[in-house]
Amino acid sequence: MPAKKHKPKLAVWKFASCDGCQLSLLDCEDELLKITEIIEIANFPEASRAIQPGPYDISLVEGSITTPHDAERIHKIRRQSKILITIGACATSGGIQALRNFADVKYYTNLVYANPKFISTLQHSTPISHHIYVDYELRGCPINKYQLIEVISAFVNNRKPNIPNTSVCIECKRKSVTCVMVSQGLPCLGPVTHAGCQALCPSYNRPCFGCYGPKEAPNTTSLAEQFIELGLSKNDIVRAFRGFNAYSDAFRKESEIYEK
Amino acid sequence: MNKTITISPVTRIEGHAKITIHLDENGTVQDARLHVDEFRGFEKFCEGRLLWEMPGITSRICGICPSSHLISSAKAGDEIFAVEIPETAEKLRRLLVLAQWVQSHALSFFYLSSPDLLLGFDSDPSKRNILGLIEKDKELARRGIRLRKFGQEIIEILGGRRIHTPWAVPGGVREPFDKSKKDHLLNWIPEVKETALMALEIIKKVHQDLEKEIPSFGNFRSLFVGLVSTDGGLEYYDGTLRVMDGNGNIIADHLDPRKYYEYFDEHTENWSYLKFPFYKPLGYPKGMYRVGPLARVNICDYIETPLAEKERREFKKIAASDGVVNNSFYYHYARLIETLFAVERIEVLLNDPAILGDHIRARAMINRYEGVGCNEAPRGVLFHHYWVNKDGVLQKVNLLIATGQNNLAMNRTIKQIASSFIEGSNISEGVLNRIESGIRMYDPCLSCSTHAIGQMPLVIQFIDANGNVVHEIRK
Ligand code: SF4
Ligand code: SF4
Repeated sequence: MPAKKHKPKLAVWKFASCDGCQLSLLDCEDELLKITEIIEIANFPEASRAIQPGPYDISLVEGSITTPHDAERIHKIRRQSKILITIGACATSGGIQALRNFADVKYYTNLVYANPKFISTLQHSTPISHHIYVDYELRGCPINKYQLIEVISAFVNNRKPNIPNTSVCIECKRKSVTCVMVSQGLPCLGPVTHAGCQALCPSYNRPCFGCYGPKEAPNTTSLAEQFIELGLSKNDIVRAFRGFNAYSDAFRKESEIYEK
Repeated sequence: MNKTITISPVTRIEGHAKITIHLDENGTVQDARLHVDEFRGFEKFCEGRLLWEMPGITSRICGICPSSHLISSAKAGDEIFAVEIPETAEKLRRLLVLAQWVQSHALSFFYLSSPDLLLGFDSDPSKRNILGLIEKDKELARRGIRLRKFGQEIIEILGGRRIHTPWAVPGGVREPFDKSKKDHLLNWIPEVKETALMALEIIKKVHQDLEKEIPSFGNFRSLFVGLVSTDGGLEYYDGTLRVMDGNGNIIADHLDPRKYYEYFDEHTENWSYLKFPFYKPLGYPKGMYRVGPLARVNICDYIETPLAEKERREFKKIAASDGVVNNSFYYHYARLIETLFAVERIEVLLNDPAILGDHIRARAMINRYEGVGCNEAPRGVLFHHYWVNKDGVLQKVNLLIATGQNNLAMNRTIKQIASSFIEGSNISEGVLNRIESGIRMYDPCLSCSTHAIGQMPLVIQFIDANGNVVHEIRK
């Protein structure tokens, strides 16, 4: 009897996040059935109580590490996963909650009214890659569902995902969106931000605030200088780089330069 | 020896949570608690940001109801600008809120709850999900998925993407409505209306099938709080607050939502990051109140659309002599009535020429240093309260979130279900699932309520009276 082809097993894991990225998987309405034809969803707590035991062929990880327990849990997940992909800004760079990494700890103490005997939280919100090896990082806050489908099918078929790693700037040019920085003098992170959103914000006449995180080798230095020319204060520049990907290396370093 | 049973995490609710059940020597349930054990710290890290950034930042609190945060945030900005937004902008924001209700309610019913209700609490857990539902009733599942898609598509048409759109801003909205999409949406209305009606038939059948179980699913008196329109109708975007007691008496009405802090306060417990809001005049914990669909349908005098109003009248019959429906199981029913209302209302708005205007944004500077924005999120009334300086830099932020306001009621519900279904430390899958299901009636969005969260595999802990873990089961 010919061996039945093994359907790869997919697991979805959540850490500190808003759930938006994993919901992109549920947002694949028409595609959801097709996806389940090529993979078996073995663990997706947002959608189902049943958890099938590992190992898993592909693990999708959403969210950042913010508790001691999560810092342990992610290692267990890595050991059970052949391929581990982070989805979204939280998992890839610590997310918006990483803004707390820049604050004085005392600043937050009045929030931590809970008894550490019952619950505890780490001072920093960190990306998954600070804890374990990650095979692929899919960007965005939230991710783009078509890119998610592409990445899943690429790994299932053993090929490289076809995800352009240019900038939002290039997407604007391709869509012939008028540059908001040149025409309106708005401080836009498009030149240093990873493509993937089809230049959503500039198409809505507003500057990009970097929700897809830094592109490869971003020239943040010259962009920051341009912001100064546009009349931004140091504070404004710090704020600009400290958004949804504040704790990514490139944005964090640039913001620190302008911090008094 | 007292024992504690811990169920962690609760699956198929948005966010993470853990439940502990405290038993006495005889195995009788003494207490039950929903713990939320992580926080992301939005209120703090928003300090120092700009007012204009707030809708975008606070959307990230929750991937299910980002549009609700977007609207409350933009409305707080309107207050600080001290502007009245253009009519078109208000109607478009209303459209967004309704679309948000449809997509979120459809997610709650079809994806998260109906698998339990239709496949049974004791059925194979690996099938108890949307995929299991597809297997059982493909047409129904397809309709549910398309109902959610209808809501999501409106959000996408308005805001450019479904989750975290940058569309609403203090003073109005960024883009007018794309006229070319109007007919496409209008043509879709009959189908989604039919789906909402079908879902209502289904839930009524469930009420019959589960007749014996329902009385132990969170059946207690509490206050109900929500917005109503000026003349007492079901409201979702504006209006004033009404407080009703568990006997159906209106104990406070026409409260200004901008002064929410005068009526509500938050209690904290050291075992959860989720706070416990209560109605001040009654104190803690007597001031326990419920928000969301059950509250809204209970407190309003009427619903402005005909089909939903007809259902509301049916719903009221359940209340019998109480005058108000106190059983949380009927959250599902109320949610579906609201879904029908939202679809009917969306149709009215789509036919309103005012939504096609291009005057969509009032521009202004900082005219007040404080502002509160409020709207009815799918899970209940949502407040954003900001304090800014003259440059619009946030000095302080307070968020009162729907799920948080149901916290006391959720704890009460778990306790009630646990008492009816647990005896000793012997707990079956079906019981675990009933408890989870009890929490899911509230459709809690824990990402929201703590502006936080994080956890998954199932852990059951037994803790003795001294706080020592004497036994642990992991799944
Ligand atoms: S990256 Fe953004 S959308 Fe994704 S989980 Fe984090 S906050 Fe939500
Ligand atoms: S333009 Fe920038 S901020 Fe806007 S969606 Fe794209 S990457 Fe995100």
